[in-house]
Amino acid sequence: MRSKKLKVLWLTGIACNGNAHSFLNYPYLAQFMDRFEFLYHPIIESKYTLVDIINQDLECDILLIEGAISIEYKKDTTSIYDIIQKYSSKAQKIVTVGTCASFGGIFRDSGYLGASGLHFDRDIELDDFKNIKSKTISISGCPIHPEVLVNTLYSIREDIKIALDKFLRPKEFFAYTVHNGCTRNEYFEYKIDNHNFGEREGCMFYEHGCQAPYTHGSCNKILWNEVNSKTRVGLQCMGCSEPSFPKSNLFNTKKNMGIPEELPLGVGKRTYLTLAGITKAFNIKRLETRLFND
Amino acid sequence: MIKLIEKIEGEARLNYSFKDNLIDFVEIDFFTTRGIEKILENRAILDALVINPRVCGICGHAQLIATVKALEDCYDNIEISKKAEIVRELTLNFEIIQNHFKWFYLTIMPLMGYKDYLLKASFPSQLMSKAIASIAGQYPHTSYAIVGGIVCDIGMMELVKVESYIDETLKFFEENLVEADGEEFLECNNSNKLLSKDGDLPKVLNKIKNSNLIDFGKSYDRFIVFGKNSYFNSGKSNKTRLYKTIDIDRVEEFDNNKSFAKNVMYKDKYYEVGPLARAMINKTPLIKDAHRRYGDSIISRILARVCEILQLLNHSKKLLKEINLNELSYIKPKIDISQISSSGVGVVEASRGSLIHKVNIEKGLIKKYDIITPTQWNLANGTRDNLGVAQNAIIGLDSTELAEIVFKSFDVCSVCTTH
Amino acid sequence: MSINRASKKEKRKEQIMQGALELFASKGFYSTTIPDIALSLKMSVGNMYNYFKSKDILAEEILKFISAYLGKELQKINEKDISTQEKTREIVDIYFEVAMSKPEMIDYFLRVYLSNREIFRDGCAGMICVNEFVTEIMIYFEEGVRAGELRDQDFFSAFGLFMGYLGGMVFLKGEHILPKELDEYVDDISFNIYKALSI
Repeated sequence: MRSKKLKVLWLTGIACNGNAHSFLNYPYLAQFMDRFEFLYHPIIESKYTLVDIINQDLECDILLIEGAISIEYKKDTTSIYDIIQKYSSKAQKIVTVGTCASFGGIFRDSGYLGASGLHFDRDIELDDFKNIKSKTISISGCPIHPEVLVNTLYSIREDIKIALDKFLRPKEFFAYTVHNGCTRNEYFEYKIDNHNFGEREGCMFYEHGCQAPYTHGSCNKILWNEVNSKTRVGLQCMGCSEPSFPKSNLFNTKKNMGIPEELPLGVGKRTYLTLAGITKAFNIKRLETRLFND
Repeated sequence: MIKLIEKIEGEARLNYSFKDNLIDFVEIDFFTTRGIEKILENRAILDALVINPRVCGICGHAQLIATVKALEDCYDNIEISKKAEIVRELTLNFEIIQNHFKWFYLTIMPLMGYKDYLLKASFPSQLMSKAIASIAGQYPHTSYAIVGGIVCDIGMMELVKVESYIDETLKFFEENLVEADGEEFLECNNSNKLLSKDGDLPKVLNKIKNSNLIDFGKSYDRFIVFGKNSYFNSGKSNKTRLYKTIDIDRVEEFDNNKSFAKNVMYKDKYYEVGPLARAMINKTPLIKDAHRRYGDSIISRILARVCEILQLLNHSKKLLKEINLNELSYIKPKIDISQISSSGVGVVEASRGSLIHKVNIEKGLIKKYDIITPTQWNLANGTRDNLGVAQNAIIGLDSTELAEIVFKSFDVCSVCTTH
Repeated sequence: MSINRASKKEKRKEQIMQGALELFASKGFYSTTIPDIALSLKMSVGNMYNYFKSKDILAEEILKFISAYLGKELQKINEKDISTQEKTREIVDIYFEVAMSKPEMIDYFLRVYLSNREIFRDGCAGMICVNEFVTEIMIYFEEGVRAGELRDQDFFSAFGLFMGYLGGMVFLKGEHILPKELDEYVDDISFNIYKALSI
């Protein structure tokens, strides 16, 4: 292992600190702290104070930005834009941590002038900070998955080339859909559309707004808190890693005459409906009754 | 003199005035806001279950439970199974516990000069996060509590798993915070006995004692608790006098022109909320003893928070045994919420104290949403004539360093305050 | 089997289905036997069975054939860049056109498929044998709602209105009750349907 620790600045914009807390759930923090040191972190002790960060011009290897940003939003008395400008120019990489920092997220509507992500306002690319775009990686998610963030930082440290999608998200984690690995997959495959909350059976795609089949992420591949995922327990995916988060009416599947308006990623409507028509005819008893509460 | 207070889930500015080398007044300024209440307006009511956990990264679960209670309160009649009620209480307990570990090891220990306790903060809080995730899918930011119950079916295996996380956390507590048997600790009614034990808690308490900090942090000695559940009682106290009847309608929130955070009062008075308040209303023997000796000082606050970890772990084990697995997890409401025009209030005890959500809905859309967070009580920015709780505790101190310790003893959460 | 021979076999199958359809329409489904069909096509009964193993299988294949035929016609309409109102008119138009030029097809659909569901229970559960046709109707509905022209509602309440109306008209025509030709009703009927389904 290289002895030099990379210097990381965790800068918080308009945020709930959910990403900072999610990061604390990374299971091997001791290993992480052997490889990185925080110039500043909103929760963990750090070498410098925020006032130092603002007033001084410190060496910084990786700039992490959490939260939506706006020129109006200040850290103490300095605009976050100025702080980003100062440290992004010297940082080797910039990582937007979470959906707010990547696309604006919930706090895009916080009321601050032009609040958005660093490079994107939802899915629209911005002109501000274009000069640093080639150094940026987006780790979206509300919150981020700690392993996704840490493994990306490890790759940066090892100089591993990271393939990114058009929103700068590492394909390694975001080329999948959240649907991939969901334990309710069979109910989706066979179009069993009688999901009820409070049950371990059923798929939330048909009635309850599950966005997993068209949301990029690894939630069901790399489990949350190492044990579970929202869709596994019966809570629909809210699409929180996408530029469009949060959409509205999140507990209902938007349908037009009974047909879901949004279909699984890359699946044409005609083929989807044809397949649905066929699977409807299967009549699979095992999937239409309770698994073991009989 | 203006000082920026950092690492309080955000920042706040304290603007001190000194007179004769003593702090004579302090303004508490939370200089940002995120407009959650505005963001909610005109959205479909159930979206609040997704938006509101994002009020706060460390107590988002309390925001979820307060939301679901406010929404259910919009019904004249709604049935929730006992099972769902218990499970909601459990996951909320786990969140409170992870918060207290983090606060003790990441805020209090460094303030007392002890460094590098990240892993002691993260290990038990990860266990509690796993316990929440086992039931609710993930932590932070799940929306598993919905109008009518919870989304998941709970079976034997979930209970077994959760109990093992609780036991492991108890073990951590006994091996690290206070090297004593947990039962013994809870029954103890002499807080001074703790000082002779080994462990991080006695270490901190002794440090406070030896640094002559023991008298600091005292405020009005007035406490209030709204979020009654199977463990916490509601009520208010003034010194040692306890009043069981309180009326949520007498809670008043009002602007102060200095800070984005609104002040909150009960019948025109500021009250302290949080673990110390809960212990006072619950008459927890150990904390009552500490209060008798040290009043509403830093030491009582720390003790009450740490003690609550153990209380809630033990109580959660009891709750697990009370779950009847044959009950439904979710009972579909007879009227869909999209048809409802009504208003509701939801109150829970969050890590830092009473959390109140109020909602007005019209045909299933949010017309008005109001959130009153615990930190708004403790850190109200009052006037010289009517000081907020933390202000009152700070005035008279002789240094800003000391003031910061007192300030942080309230377990400040900037993001909550500036929702 | 070479492609040529395969397509030749497909062609022969279609001829058999067409012949069967005509016999079903004139003699009735139950009174028509496989030998009847073979005779009408000047084929040996044995050879017939090379194409269709039983009358039930033939019945299913005919249904799929009609669904595919109508589905393809509807797909052409769905893929046009026109309003839902115009699509409504074109669907009604093509349906009546088929009912007039190939009355045996619609007749089979209404009289055989819908009134003898027991025959189709095994191989055609749900709507599997009419999938292509139903899929196109679904797409027509979905896109109509998405475009803000049609009112969102349950699929079957809309499907029943549309198909029940058209089927009813063809039935009346078949019973010689309609005073005018079907195509003379296209304007009014597509107006009525669109009006009933639109926002």
